[in-house]
Amino acid sequence: MCPNGKKLLKVEGLVKKFGGFRALNGVSIDVCQGRIVGLAGPNGSGKTTLINVISGVYRPDGGSIEFDGCSIYKLPSHKIVHLGVNRTFQVPKPLSGLTVWENVLLAAVYGSAEGDKQQTIRDSLEIVDLSAIKDAISAGLTFAQQKLLGLATALATKPKLLLVDEIAAGLSHQELLWIAEMLQRIQQTGIAMIVVEHHLGFIDTLTSDVVVMNAGANLFRGSINEAAQNEEVVEVFLGR
Amino acid sequence: MLKKYFPSLGVILAIVAIFIGLPHFYDNQSFLFNLMLYLALAEGLNIIYGFTGYLPFGYVGFFGAGAYGGAIAITLLHISPLLGVLVGGVVAVLTGVILIPLLRLSGAYFAIANLAASQALYLVVANPSLEKITQGPYGIDLSSVYNANAGYFAMLGVLVFAMALVAYLRNSNFGLSLLAIKEDRVTASLAGVNVIRARSIAWMLSAFVAGMSGAVFGWYTAVFYPSTVFSLDVSVFTIVFVLFGGIASVAGPLIGALILYSMYNFIGISTPQYFQLFYGLLIVLLVLFLPDGVVSLLKKGKVYVP
Ligand SMILES: Nc1ncnc2c1ncn2[C@@H]1O[C@H](COP(=O)(O)OP(=O)(O)OP(=O)(O)O)[C@@H](O)[C@H]1O
Ligand SMILES: [Mg+2]
Repeated sequence: MCPNGKKLLKVEGLVKKFGGFRALNGVSIDVCQGRIVGLAGPNGSGKTTLINVISGVYRPDGGSIEFDGCSIYKLPSHKIVHLGVNRTFQVPKPLSGLTVWENVLLAAVYGSAEGDKQQTIRDSLEIVDLSAIKDAISAGLTFAQQKLLGLATALATKPKLLLVDEIAAGLSHQELLWIAEMLQRIQQTGIAMIVVEHHLGFIDTLTSDVVVMNAGANLFRGSINEAAQNEEVVEVFLGR
Repeated sequence: MLKKYFPSLGVILAIVAIFIGLPHFYDNQSFLFNLMLYLALAEGLNIIYGFTGYLPFGYVGFFGAGAYGGAIAITLLHISPLLGVLVGGVVAVLTGVILIPLLRLSGAYFAIANLAASQALYLVVANPSLEKITQGPYGIDLSSVYNANAGYFAMLGVLVFAMALVAYLRNSNFGLSLLAIKEDRVTASLAGVNVIRARSIAWMLSAFVAGMSGAVFGWYTAVFYPSTVFSLDVSVFTIVFVLFGGIASVAGPLIGALILYSMYNFIGISTPQYFQLFYGLLIVLLVLFLPDGVVSLLKKGKVYVP
């Protein structure tokens, strides 16, 4: 149950097959309006696949996905984006021939109907601190900057739900703290999130609501502390 | 807002001035006509190849469809040639609509499938059993409506239209969305772009330009055969001109077609063997050293290319 009574995302029994292999094997997850859910799990457990299916990048093979009261199951990405879902990529995919500004411009123009586009672009770049390099060609950005650009692009479409895939991976401790703070600021604007991360300490600073996946299905839901004491969780993380 | 269109507008006006002015000093109208034809085709191909990355080896299919669509409307429905040009464009767009599923293919698969489609269309049009409509292999005769000067200016009109379309794409958000699709379809759709709709629109605009060009060509030439208007040379020339000039700008394809078609006309027709040698070398050098065309030299020098 949600504290404010409103469920934003409800995924049930989701299945995604690659050939005969079930990368998602009946996983369920739900997110309350404005809340952050942490998503953890060992390599290959299906976290990125879950994000790809929810955001319409992959077509599901079973289950249901409801967002804000309507089914987004098998909708194309641009429609899902228009309804208010967006995501970032574990390996960033900016439009590398375009400038930082143009990347965000495209998302502001095509991603949402409302608002002053110029202002949206400025605000999105401001939040991720890329305003200073807005005219740079995005191919020349560092890996970390490209991830931030991906976040700014997603924000420019004015999502209600943001799916964040390992944004902190490979960053220094300082940068990690800064990103966590930034995600909190984004949450304060009313945006709900699923934050995928291996680094459990990072998730801990953001939320006490964690889902652990294993082999394409749910293993555990609760706080980080409870997770650390759960035998099954410890087993999949440490290997049997 | 409109100011960003000024450089493109300048290019368009310069081209118009050239083709209105040149006939007063140079009396080979048919060369100037063919030059305009290839300029228009190069811009038309630029719309689909330059902005979305699909390379249509069967681009000539739209040209032929337009030539026949226009000619059949003129001879059977007795409409004016100018209206026939429009009909030619529409027939090419309808052909494009039928071929939209090809856009699901990528790279070489798309190029080959499109090539096959254009040749299939050629065989249908040239089929003797369709003689009542297309005259089959015996060709079309439009000499009753022949008017070289009117055809010349109609071609200029189509060229202006093609350049204006590219100028729009070069400077608009829609053009930006096409470039985004070319680079990364997934990223573009997550920016909210309806990828399938956008690339289909580009495809049909590109077909429209080729179709109108084909119809004007038919009118200006008066007598033509399926083998003329479905000749793969048309595709190959157009593609080479665009690659030579550079994509996704108004000026690139114009520069490519102006230089190479003029060269072809002055060297190629009198001494084809030298020309082929020269052309072959040029393409090799181009692919090796200037894959983004001549205008990439300007861009490297930080010159804005309209
Ligand atoms: N496009 C694909 N084709 C085939 N198999 C895939 C594809 N994408 C993912 N998989 C497989 O699905 C499984 C889940 O992968 P996924 O990327 O979702 O894991 P993950 O939990 O995000 O892992 P990581 O923590 O390493 O990012 C893996 O076994 C992977 O090899
Ligand atoms: Mg992953």
